[in-house]
Amino acid sequence: MGNCLNTPTADDISLLRGSDSQDGSETANLGPPPPYQESVPIYHPSPNVSRTVTQLTEEEQIKIAKRLGLIQHLPTGVHDGCCKKTKECVICMGEFILGDRLRYLPCMHSFHKDCIDDWLMRSFTCPSCMEPVDAALLTTYETNN
Amino acid sequence: MANIAVARIKREFKEVVKSEEVAKCHIKVELVDDSFTSLRGEILGPPDTPYEGGTFILDIRIPETYPFNPPKVQFLTKIWHPNISSVTGAICLDILKDQWAAAMTLRTVLLSLQALLAAPEPDDPQDAVVARQYKETSDIFSQTARHWASNYASAPHREPVMDDKVAQLKNMGFDEHKARVALSTHNWDIEQAMENILS
Repeated sequence: MGNCLNTPTADDISLLRGSDSQDGSETANLGPPPPYQESVPIYHPSPNVSRTVTQLTEEEQIKIAKRLGLIQHLPTGVHDGCCKKTKECVICMGEFILGDRLRYLPCMHSFHKDCIDDWLMRSFTCPSCMEPVDAALLTTYETNN
Repeated sequence: MANIAVARIKREFKEVVKSEEVAKCHIKVELVDDSFTSLRGEILGPPDTPYEGGTFILDIRIPETYPFNPPKVQFLTKIWHPNISSVTGAICLDILKDQWAAAMTLRTVLLSLQALLAAPEPDDPQDAVVARQYKETSDIFSQTARHWASNYASAPHREPVMDDKVAQLKNMGFDEHKARVALSTHNWDIEQAMENILS
């Protein structure tokens, strides 16, 4: 079987790190990237486990590929400043600012896209309510059919 | 250290300082240096437990990948508890391992540790000796835990009989802490404890 994780493209990295903003101005101010953001992507087949692609077993590679696909199905949006929504991302504890890229989980909790994508690659649960994301996704599909 | 980790700790720090539990002196967090990576926690032993009224100091290390990975926490204050190593202070608690979630905070960690003091889980032990004592002779466990809390965490309730036994061995020239560990491990049998220290 082909190894779909062997040659990470820009897309793969953007999925993991959410660094899909075209201008590099934001990251330029942050100084040198921390070790885990360097060019070789680090995957987390389970929480507390950090491996590069070459260290992953085939099973883990499949798990991560599936995970990347599932994350893509989760809706995203831009914070429009609507006050009835959540005001803060519980992951970075930063307030949502007009124009921030957000991602919404099926349990209705919302987070900064970069923050939640990083978390979902480690654990496919909502950090706020612990609801497993895939179980909720499957339920959504079933009710829609 | 990643920006997000420092930014979060700064915000959390404010949260803990403002929290209701701090107002009641139940939990506390302090900076060790300016880096926000090394913190000092403090929890009060919960009521109706052998740890009641004791002050337990914790070493908290914030990993670079925080809050995606849990903080590393261990007890600096010596404690007799099935889920905490009586030697190193290492803690066995699910939320500090695989049950961690990014929405958890220093405040929830400290409150969870306080809850762990009130409700030990002997079937998932960190210290096998303490866990066995907890399951087999719960009275001796409670007294031993209270004795440790009064000696190491300034808890108000003393165990005079145990204090005397430690003093006896100390007067014979044994190191106080070693004597306490040996007596605690051997259900306060002085002869067995002495044999253990000398072997």
